[in-house]
Amino acid sequence: MTTTAAPAVGVPVTDRTRNEKRLGWKLTAPAVIVMLAVTAYPMMNALYLSLFSYRLTDPAAREFVGLRNYGVVLSDGLWWQTVFTTVIITVITVAVELVIGFAFAMVMHRVIFGRKVVRTSILIPYGIITVVSAFAWKYAFALDSGFINNWFGLGDFAWFGGRWSSIAVICLSEIWKTTPFMSLLLLAGLAQVPEVLQEAAKVDGATWRQRLTRVTLPNMKAAIMVAVLFRTLDAYRLFDNVFIMTAGAQRTETVSFLAYRQMISRTALGLGSAVAVLLFLSVVAIAALFIKGFKVDLSSVRGR
Amino acid sequence: MALAITLLASVTGACGGGGSGVPTLNWYINPDNGGQAELAAKCSAQSNGAYRIKTSVLPNDATGQREQLVRRLAAKDASIDLMSLDPPFIPEFAEAGFLRPYTEAEARELTAGALTGPIESGTWDGKLMGAPFWANTQLLWFRKSVAQAAGIDPARDPVTWSRLIEVASAAGKTVEVQGNLYEGYMVLISALVSSAGGRILENPEAGKNVRPAIDSDAGRKAAAVIQQLARSRAANPALSTTDEEAGRSAFQGAQGGYMVNWAYIYGAAQEAVAAGTLDRAVLDDIGWGRYPRVDANSPSRPPLGGINMGIGAFSNHQDHALQAVRCITSQESQTEYMLKSKNPAARAAVYDNAEVRAVFPMADDLRSSLAEGAPRPRTPYYTDVSTAVQRSFHPPASVDPSRTPARAAKLIVDVLKDKVLL
Amino acid sequence: MTDQRSFRARLGTYGGPVLVILWTLFPVIWILSLSFKPESGINNQKFLPDTFTLENYRTVFNTPLFTSALRNSVFISLIATLLSVMIATVAAYAIARLEFPGKKLILSLALAIAMFPAVSLVGPLFDIWRSIGLYDTWIGLIIPYMSFTLPLSIWTLSAFFREIPWEMEQAAQIDGATSWQAFRKVIVPLAAPGVFTAAILAFFFAWNDFVFAISLTSTDAARPVPAALAFFTGASQFQRPAAAISAAAVIVTIPVVILVLLFQRRIVAGLTAGAVKG
Repeated sequence: MTTTAAPAVGVPVTDRTRNEKRLGWKLTAPAVIVMLAVTAYPMMNALYLSLFSYRLTDPAAREFVGLRNYGVVLSDGLWWQTVFTTVIITVITVAVELVIGFAFAMVMHRVIFGRKVVRTSILIPYGIITVVSAFAWKYAFALDSGFINNWFGLGDFAWFGGRWSSIAVICLSEIWKTTPFMSLLLLAGLAQVPEVLQEAAKVDGATWRQRLTRVTLPNMKAAIMVAVLFRTLDAYRLFDNVFIMTAGAQRTETVSFLAYRQMISRTALGLGSAVAVLLFLSVVAIAALFIKGFKVDLSSVRGR
Repeated sequence: MALAITLLASVTGACGGGGSGVPTLNWYINPDNGGQAELAAKCSAQSNGAYRIKTSVLPNDATGQREQLVRRLAAKDASIDLMSLDPPFIPEFAEAGFLRPYTEAEARELTAGALTGPIESGTWDGKLMGAPFWANTQLLWFRKSVAQAAGIDPARDPVTWSRLIEVASAAGKTVEVQGNLYEGYMVLISALVSSAGGRILENPEAGKNVRPAIDSDAGRKAAAVIQQLARSRAANPALSTTDEEAGRSAFQGAQGGYMVNWAYIYGAAQEAVAAGTLDRAVLDDIGWGRYPRVDANSPSRPPLGGINMGIGAFSNHQDHALQAVRCITSQESQTEYMLKSKNPAARAAVYDNAEVRAVFPMADDLRSSLAEGAPRPRTPYYTDVSTAVQRSFHPPASVDPSRTPARAAKLIVDVLKDKVLL
Repeated sequence: MTDQRSFRARLGTYGGPVLVILWTLFPVIWILSLSFKPESGINNQKFLPDTFTLENYRTVFNTPLFTSALRNSVFISLIATLLSVMIATVAAYAIARLEFPGKKLILSLALAIAMFPAVSLVGPLFDIWRSIGLYDTWIGLIIPYMSFTLPLSIWTLSAFFREIPWEMEQAAQIDGATSWQAFRKVIVPLAAPGVFTAAILAFFFAWNDFVFAISLTSTDAARPVPAALAFFTGASQFQRPAAAISAAAVIVTIPVVILVLLFQRRIVAGLTAGAVKG
């Protein structure tokens, strides 16, 4: 399988290469335009709006306040509490998913019979609407309609009446829904660990645990890091579960939910836009941290 | 590409509302059991072909309803002709220019015979913006067997919150209130503050520069009631997430003793018995009385709610909409609606109707509660004020009379000045 | 010791898959069970219903809110998927086959979009859409869905295109076919599985979306199912009908289950860029 090599520097650009360049741009133009139209322009707009004090229901009172909104957000206890909640949920869900996902990946890797059934059932949480999952878990843990209290003899414990118990249920729903995705990414990495290395280790008398930590995991490092990166970004943007289960009560708001509430519920477009921009910058920061800091090799990403 | 264009064309076509001949009025209603839809059909028929009313349902809770309407009205949506508005949001909508004000003559006609509460709720800046349709208030519902055993009779003698919580705790029964983080909780807080003789805002008309009055004796007394209830045995274990339906369900259960809730409770219980999902004995055991007092010596001020009819300012059929409002808020319509939906009417005369009195044995209590009730603060920034109060007072177990009202006051001021997130 | 080991191995081989299946299907069975409970029997605190009833499904199908939401979801998701895959296919072909400056940049852009917080966009999008009249329309949702499914589609498709041997296209051209014919007769059949996979993944995204669904719609005209579920109302103004919502949830899960059953191999291949063989 060969691909045409790019013309070396100094070699005159032929018609062929020029046509190829133009064709390349023409073919990718629609995709680029659509992607930018929905993200770049609104983001600029959000940046612009964030410099105003602007309530949708009182457009006449709109006034330019510069960076004051950012000052308000960054010095607000609610903002930091929300960031804290989001970070906690992110760390817990990604950590648990990594472990469970890895276990699932191993099962899928080794399973001989029933492979189709296992694969199918693993994909169902992936395809289910997040809102459906949120309702299912909410009703399971609710005091009136739920069975969890009954099964575990918890009596009157109100799961949604406290901060950490609500967060626990939210995390549970999120973990259930996205572990399959994580396990598939890890399975891809697992499948790429050369079997010869495993065989060699077995011949050398390594135990199962030693093989895992000395052979499998190090060779999967790239896949693991990519999986963790994508899941972290997804978890940081958590919205659906919080909206359905608690609507942000009991201090379970995440940053996305906070942005939504300011922007859409309160129609405080100025402050809301500031929160939105800060959310965007946080996501960029996390991605940068992973790519530069942990040296995640994205060229190994060929598909999510 | 051609395929894409045809698809897009069909898509835009699918969204257009075609209407030829008879104009269609869109009426955005809060969810109910079909009563408003019936009125829509009736008034369409009565118009003799002049117009046709089509109902669209808004979300369950008042805040959600406001959210949906605000977005579309901010986009100057011409397809919103009629709206069933929750009264606290009328000042905001009026100030933003979303509503068509009724003229003096129209206002006189539409408010003739209506109770004071609903009229005030629909008025802003001297003009009627929402025609009174139905009015809601809360009563103290109690299980007669429980009250008898405790030795109190809330139907005859007004009872204070303190006493109620005491007797309920002693008997191992609950006092159900709405403690979830939503508008229903604000209703409770506002009613408590008003019953204690105070207000939440001193000068609500001042817009952004209101001075909160919740940090006062009245505010502290209200907070004390909530604190007492939340820490007592009489509280629902899930108090911080209890809403109207959860409270009703608990009240009808084994530990139910007392409950403050809207007027629909009795009708809903009757329907449940007819459907076989509720014991007849429970229905017979339900009694009602005036909203509990905060001070033993001053009458309570029950909360007010209900729906007022607004006409969209950008509607293309404002004259037809006005006729529709006349039909919908007529005495006949209000009587029908009260019977069907179990929500109290806004016109006083309806309560004297024999049929109504048969279904609503508590008609007089409703009427007097509506007459003496206190509305929630009327300000264009109501959502901010309400959310600030709710957040300060939630969860109910954390309320502290020495700190919570002051925190709420500060939060209200800060939020209105855009100095904090909410 | 060999007995222990083989017991453990056997436990792993049989127990593992069983555990996995239990874990993944547990909430699905729960919501199924809820949907068969009568509304009055919802609070029986048990996993299974006491009385089995189909009334919730009847209620749901009689609710215009839900039936129009279903229609909206189906059409919006299908159209968004179709458009997104069409655009992604040509873009991925260019990226996989051709050399042109800016290729890396486009891939990075796609990656950046995949990481974008959708919530940050709803405010400005709402503002823009309402001023040009796209608020509460199908197109108003289709456009953001296209943008957010393009990265995934481009990544999946460029991986698939890279696997196709260049020689086949050249061979066809030598045999006298034009570039376009070579593309149609040789490349398209080979790329079809990849396109199909990208389409399925894109469909899942559009079907699943919640943030845009609730922010950019407000009536039955364009509201898709996830938003409708959140707004489901009951017979009285205060009721939130858990059983009816469950029935609605089951109904919208059926297409997902069918798609997964039929195409599990393709989906796995797409998500793992073909690294995992069926």
